[in-house]
Amino acid sequence: MLRVSLRTKLALVSLVLLVLPWAGYRYVSEIERFLLESQRQSLLATAKAVATALHERPRLMRLSTPLRATTPAPSPPSHEATGEAAAAPVETAVPIPVHSDRLAEAAPLHPEKELASLLQGAERGDARFWVVNRDLKVLAVVGSLKPAADEEAAPGRRWLAWLIQPPPQDFDDKFDKAAQASRPEVTEALFGAGAARVRKTRDGRATVIAAAQPIWAADNVVGAVVAEQTTNSILSVRNVAIERLLILTLTVFAAVALVLLGFATRLSSRIRRLRDEAEGAIDAQGRISRLTAGSRAGDEIGDLSRSFSKVLTRLGQHHSYLESLASRLSHELRTPVAVVRSSLENLRMQGVSQEAAVYVDRAEEGLGRLSRILSRMAEATRLETSLATQERERYDLTAVVRDCVEGYRLAYPRQAFDLRLPVAPAFVRGSPDLAAQMLDKLVSNAVDFSVEGAAVTVEIAPEESYQRLSVSNRGPALPEAMAGKLFEAMISMRPASAGGEPHLGLGLYVARLIAEFHGGRIEAANLADGGGVEMRVMLPVAGVSSASAPIAFGKERA
Amino acid sequence: MAKTIAIVEDDPAIRANYADALRRQGYEVLAYDSRPAAMAAFALRLPDLALIDIGLGDEPEGGFELCRSLRALSARLPILFLTARDSDFDIVSGLRLGADDYLTKDISLPHLLARIAALFRRLDALTGSPPPEEVTERGDLRLDAGRFSVSWKGQPVDLTLTEFWMVHTLARHPGHVKEREQLMRDAQLVVDEGTITSHIKRIRKKFLAVDAAFDRIDTLYGMGYRWKADGA
Repeated sequence: MLRVSLRTKLALVSLVLLVLPWAGYRYVSEIERFLLESQRQSLLATAKAVATALHERPRLMRLSTPLRATTPAPSPPSHEATGEAAAAPVETAVPIPVHSDRLAEAAPLHPEKELASLLQGAERGDARFWVVNRDLKVLAVVGSLKPAADEEAAPGRRWLAWLIQPPPQDFDDKFDKAAQASRPEVTEALFGAGAARVRKTRDGRATVIAAAQPIWAADNVVGAVVAEQTTNSILSVRNVAIERLLILTLTVFAAVALVLLGFATRLSSRIRRLRDEAEGAIDAQGRISRLTAGSRAGDEIGDLSRSFSKVLTRLGQHHSYLESLASRLSHELRTPVAVVRSSLENLRMQGVSQEAAVYVDRAEEGLGRLSRILSRMAEATRLETSLATQERERYDLTAVVRDCVEGYRLAYPRQAFDLRLPVAPAFVRGSPDLAAQMLDKLVSNAVDFSVEGAAVTVEIAPEESYQRLSVSNRGPALPEAMAGKLFEAMISMRPASAGGEPHLGLGLYVARLIAEFHGGRIEAANLADGGGVEMRVMLPVAGVSSASAPIAFGKERA
Repeated sequence: MAKTIAIVEDDPAIRANYADALRRQGYEVLAYDSRPAAMAAFALRLPDLALIDIGLGDEPEGGFELCRSLRALSARLPILFLTARDSDFDIVSGLRLGADDYLTKDISLPHLLARIAALFRRLDALTGSPPPEEVTERGDLRLDAGRFSVSWKGQPVDLTLTEFWMVHTLARHPGHVKEREQLMRDAQLVVDEGTITSHIKRIRKKFLAVDAAFDRIDTLYGMGYRWKADGA
């Protein structure tokens, strides 16, 4: 199964924040459109203003031919005009050679000069004005589309160049009179309506807005003023905006992503802690502890921790109910058994007939078996309660096992025992009485399953850090399904016995409790050849150091 | 005059059965089913022996309570617990409250009757009329089966009847191993193997209280116990 951690998921979710720069870009584009429109309007207005200045001056709309009109057109002071003409590269469109002698005579009335100087007044850094007459002849051109001083793009922003096209600086702005004069906006203006068009420069690198306004003389259009400007200024504003937007949103994105990541890390570490604790809540001995991780937190993880604790508590209650069931049952059954027993005994004391005595005997025999069952049921619980207060001591396991096996040889006269003990004493920590009880259970189990004539082997073998006590017998192998369950309470693999000793599956459970009391463990395995079963108890070796401290001796509590 | 025995037991069938058996032995029997009823009667007249169950009706510890009250009324009155509860904890609690013995309901009627007779004999020995001495002496140990008294190096050891019988069985044949079953039979005990271990532990503790060097009771794992003979 693919495992995606919470943190990764939240990080992925935070990618949604990348929609912010996109939205910002859309907004900037809107603004750009708006700016373009307003630039168009302002160009139109500028062209109109210039056109207004040229109204009712049809004289100026002619090429420099001898003038018939007598009224001199108002003109700016000549020094200003010449000064400006010298400063700005005024491209006076003069298709016909100028008659310099006449020019000198009628200088203030020279139409091109006057037009040019009039246009100078409206000129801006990056705009071009020109005037065309009804014959589509360009009379004057002022200004350039390129800004006077080339602004070098800030070096720090070059990295953005691949993302944001900087406004082109070296576009082709050559003025082609014939082509320009026939542009549709000019035609429209000559028909009497102001118009603006957006077009590309000839090399297609820059965008130019051209606005044309008619020049009126009486009711006739005598020419048109055209104002042209590139959109570069808007582009640079837009670029700066996009740049800032990018920097801002990326910074915000990074900050938010960091915060989210931190939050997710904290969240997932809390959940991990909770998970680890939940997994360890039921220990190897089946004891159930409450959760502490996040149990005081006021959020959902706290809720989870608390409800998990609640479930565990319930489980614990159920667990202890099951554990105590056997002992409670045996306790509850004791009173009715006592009623039957005392009644039978009273009956016998009164004196019963020979025939009736047979039945009383049988009843007492059944009662005896019932009592044994009951006391066995209570044995495990009694052991558990006594383990809680039992003191541990360091003792030699070999001595206990040797004594025990001597006893078994008497107790099971028909069974052979093979005892293998190490030469050195095997010190363990626990209770020798309990160890003997554990061995009782293991040996009685082994004897019951042993085949006729084969010896039951009892062996102690020192291993690295523990003593291995094993009891093995020849006989049927363990069924697969029983693996691991053998040492649980109320688990028995024996066939239901008719009349013999009752088997409640508590013997090996008792053995397990005692092995665990010694800090060890117990396991069952089939012999290598499959012809028998071995029960192994691993008990940790009790160090000499702990035995040499007599104060601690026997004071340890379970 | 017949001895009076009070039975305080909430189960009517057991109460009647025990009462019948005791009456057949010639005792006068007073049966009560609850602590208040028993206390009301004891306030008027004390029996010669009280047989008490621990759980009484809706009082799960009523027997302990009753034992404490009775002990307050009389220091000498023999009190026997007869109960279905056999945990070490209950046994220790019962004996601490001053009960003379603690029997589980597994005990057979003949055993119960023998116990009661023995308690009366011990009581008679204390009150004067000297019963026949059945003294067994094993070195520092002196056992009087007539008075059920034990002394070690001249100092009395306060054993319950159960414990007395166990010591008696062990010490009669020093050096002999007594298997648990044998111990149970001889001591007229009906206890589980598990409880024998704790009985032995309590006996050792009582002797150790008198003599810190006491080590006569030997455990032979898997077999049983034995009383070490002098010098062994």
